[in-house]
Amino acid sequence: MNKTKRFIIVLAVLAVAFAFLLPSIKWYAMTPKEDQALALGSREQIREFAWRMARADLGEIEALASTPDPLPDRFGPVVKRAKAIYKEVGLKAPEAWNAKAYLAAFDNRSDALAELEDYHRTRVLALKKLHGSAVQLGLDLSGGMSVVIRADLEALETKLGKSLSPAERDDAVVRAVEVLNNRIDKFGLTEPVIRRQGEDRIYVEIPGAADPERINGIILGRGKLAFHIVDEAATATLTEYLDANPLAIDEKLNLADPTLIPAGTMVRKFYTKDKYGLDEWTGRYMVLAAEAGLDGNHIESATVSSDPVTGQPEVVFSLDKEGGELFYALTSANVDKTMAVVLDDRVRTGARISGPIQANVKITGFAADEANNLALILRSAALPVELIVETQQAIGASLGEDSILEGRNAVLIGLAAVFVFMLVYYKGAGVNAALAQVLNLFLMFSILSAFNLTLTLPSIAGFVLTIGMAVDANVIIFERIKEELREGKGRKASINAGFSKAFWAVMDSNITTILAALFLSQLGSGPIQGFAVSLAIGNMSSLFTSLFVSRLVFDFNTDVFKRQALSISWRVK
Amino acid sequence: MKRVIQFHKAFVPAAIGSVALIAFGLVGLATKGINLGVDFQAGINQAVQLAYPAADIAYSGAGAPVLSISDSTASVVFSGASVESRTASWNLRTVGTIADLAAAMKTEGIDVSIRDGAGLSADLLVPTFQGDYALGTDPVLVHRGAKSPAEAFGSIERVREAMQAVGTVSVQSVGDADSMQYLIRVRDDGTDKSFSEKVPSKITQALEGAFGADKVVAMRTDYVGARFSKDLADNSWKLTLFTTLAILAYATIRFKMQFGLGAVLAILHDGLMMIAFIVWTRMEFNTTSIAAILTILGYSINDTIVIFDRIREDRKLDPTAKLSGVLDRSISETLGRTIITTVTTMLAVLSLYIFTSGGIKDFALALLVGMVSGTYSTIFIASGFVYFWEKIQDKKAPKAASGQLATKAAR
Repeated sequence: MNKTKRFIIVLAVLAVAFAFLLPSIKWYAMTPKEDQALALGSREQIREFAWRMARADLGEIEALASTPDPLPDRFGPVVKRAKAIYKEVGLKAPEAWNAKAYLAAFDNRSDALAELEDYHRTRVLALKKLHGSAVQLGLDLSGGMSVVIRADLEALETKLGKSLSPAERDDAVVRAVEVLNNRIDKFGLTEPVIRRQGEDRIYVEIPGAADPERINGIILGRGKLAFHIVDEAATATLTEYLDANPLAIDEKLNLADPTLIPAGTMVRKFYTKDKYGLDEWTGRYMVLAAEAGLDGNHIESATVSSDPVTGQPEVVFSLDKEGGELFYALTSANVDKTMAVVLDDRVRTGARISGPIQANVKITGFAADEANNLALILRSAALPVELIVETQQAIGASLGEDSILEGRNAVLIGLAAVFVFMLVYYKGAGVNAALAQVLNLFLMFSILSAFNLTLTLPSIAGFVLTIGMAVDANVIIFERIKEELREGKGRKASINAGFSKAFWAVMDSNITTILAALFLSQLGSGPIQGFAVSLAIGNMSSLFTSLFVSRLVFDFNTDVFKRQALSISWRVK
Repeated sequence: MKRVIQFHKAFVPAAIGSVALIAFGLVGLATKGINLGVDFQAGINQAVQLAYPAADIAYSGAGAPVLSISDSTASVVFSGASVESRTASWNLRTVGTIADLAAAMKTEGIDVSIRDGAGLSADLLVPTFQGDYALGTDPVLVHRGAKSPAEAFGSIERVREAMQAVGTVSVQSVGDADSMQYLIRVRDDGTDKSFSEKVPSKITQALEGAFGADKVVAMRTDYVGARFSKDLADNSWKLTLFTTLAILAYATIRFKMQFGLGAVLAILHDGLMMIAFIVWTRMEFNTTSIAAILTILGYSINDTIVIFDRIREDRKLDPTAKLSGVLDRSISETLGRTIITTVTTMLAVLSLYIFTSGGIKDFALALLVGMVSGTYSTIFIASGFVYFWEKIQDKKAPKAASGQLATKAAR
């Protein structure tokens, strides 16, 4: 391969690596801390944020409607979106973007609210996405807690008095995950990761928070399901009032003025599932009777079937005897009202009561996946699964920050020490080796970023070690070149012979190390895995930098700059 | 041509020395046992700090600011709706006294009511170990450490005494005695299903009973259940075995059987050396130690292969040469590379050892020991094995010319 081709390959690799690294640079270096805090919140918290911001913004814009001055600068992006709306409906853009012109883009107030809400949400969700594609920090660096919990299927079997089929076991774990997902925003300031691990384990990772007592309370607490009657008139009044006065309700659902809703009622948020199966607030509040009409404990089973006539999916659940009587009384007294299914203080669905119902309840009127979700929620109350903590690790966020600093110092100083040594020992060729190491570090981070791997303290250690070991490839080659020079060969011949003779030594030694690292990475637990992955990545990228890039630099100096001598040692000239 | 050092003469003394050291380690393992970390022993590790309650911090404005305190800075991130997003932070070393910090926070709308130590330096404040605090109308309590050794009210003996109420507990002091940080370990025998929930609060209660309410800060809680620790131990053995087999297979394919066996023997030697070191220094044996051992296996094999590669090449150049001569020559030729690589890697690991703390520092120390062992075993154990193996083979089949042995796989 000629030099130009090789040079282009190196440039291409560098460009691709940079593209992979870009999200990480954007997130860690260019996103302010307060925006990071927003983006790390749960989708629920983001939704809440957008809801409030939209109402506050609109209030401000409306207050400015009487002045002809253009909107303040901070509304820039909002105005830009309004311009697009003008264009879309074929209106002529106004000369000055003042409040009046902005409001004219919308038919009514709720359209404007929806647009503003969408703006804030899109902005934060884009940041969240950016975070997702950046290098992730492990809990030991970000601080936080990880918990592995096990669904106690044996206890469930004992309770039911029969052994569970594989499908039933699976369903039990799914129910447990559902209950945890339902509590996602109670874990703290950042969104937790909730993931099934193996057959009966669930992995929960909560960045930032590290208070095990509180978090265990959230995880191990049972889901509480209840049916409440909806006060529709009060709901409508409240919604209208809150659109104008978003600050009248706080995040904990306390009203600034409790007389806004009738006595004996309470406010709850209404949720649906988003396309990832996670809870999503619809942006609606509901006013419910404070007292539950029926407790979820009375549910005995819940299934999804389809209506024999219309084919519409329906959820059918049966109640025990006492529950059936209570439910009959409830439904007879509230015909034509809406009944809300509330799990852990969240309204999950509402159903209109068409007439008195006793033991077997049928709810209709939704899509198939909604029906499945509802049945799942109802079953989680009918057959609660006990959870057992298997392992738990909590690391304070401030300890994490200190660790990052320590790790960074160790990497930089280690790198500097290696550079100084190489420059002193190998003189001119040392520059070549140093360049290879800088590229190596760059490639390692971009691979980490590309595969969305997690950076942990052990993986930083892996990087430091790799720097030391990666120099080895350069050392093997340089020592070989020196031997050739001693035999009296010229620059070009020595380089050629040195590289070709060193090739298999470098390959063999790196392949064995990569083999060891790959096996290591299979060891299930986090720290070793992170270390092994970074070791393997470092080895592979050092093969590229030492055999390919270093060679190219030598050849360039020989052919393009017409160097005759080779500065590689103090003794060999 | 470089000077050739007579390495083969040291093979026998080296083998004796290594066996003695490893035996010494195994004796230690048998008599003292290994200091198993929480990863391998079901139970709870709880790190706590005893400290003085310093101030109650509350906030009643709009939005939800988040407070975090590290060793050097206190910062409050304001974000959320109806509040201008911003971050306020103070350097605890330069801000002055706790009262000064309180005054500075006040200008950001945060209420700080100082309980104790208003005139003390703000960098005595205890970091927010358990995660950042969301500030609200319910005040959160921040603590401060002792200003002088005389003010340190806790001692490891008193902590041990307080822990007697909790059960079989081991207590270690973390850092110097004045910092009043302790690591408390409670074993889980698996009889109580809610062990992990009950024990941390039991520990806190017992300490608060002994030292006073609000004087205990939980720093870190790690819990490992019985089933998990067993899985990890099983996995570790399996993986070490598979790694060794994979290396043996690769070295046998690329070189010859005796080279593969020599390489594996050398890495086993290194693993045992490190275990001997961990046993005798009473260093905690945990997943990080396994990582260190496995890394050294990778490092040592790397070293070994480079020398084997040279032996193969030198034999090809002169198939009739005596094995001892070839070994000496190859090791001498690669000695420069061996030393330089060891030095550069050690520079990197040394910087890890110097600039990090806790688990990674131990890890770096174990690596340093392993690297010395790895470099040594490459020269004396791996090559020594090949030397003895071929000597025995030569005696068995005196006709076989030693020169043909290594040429098959060479390219």
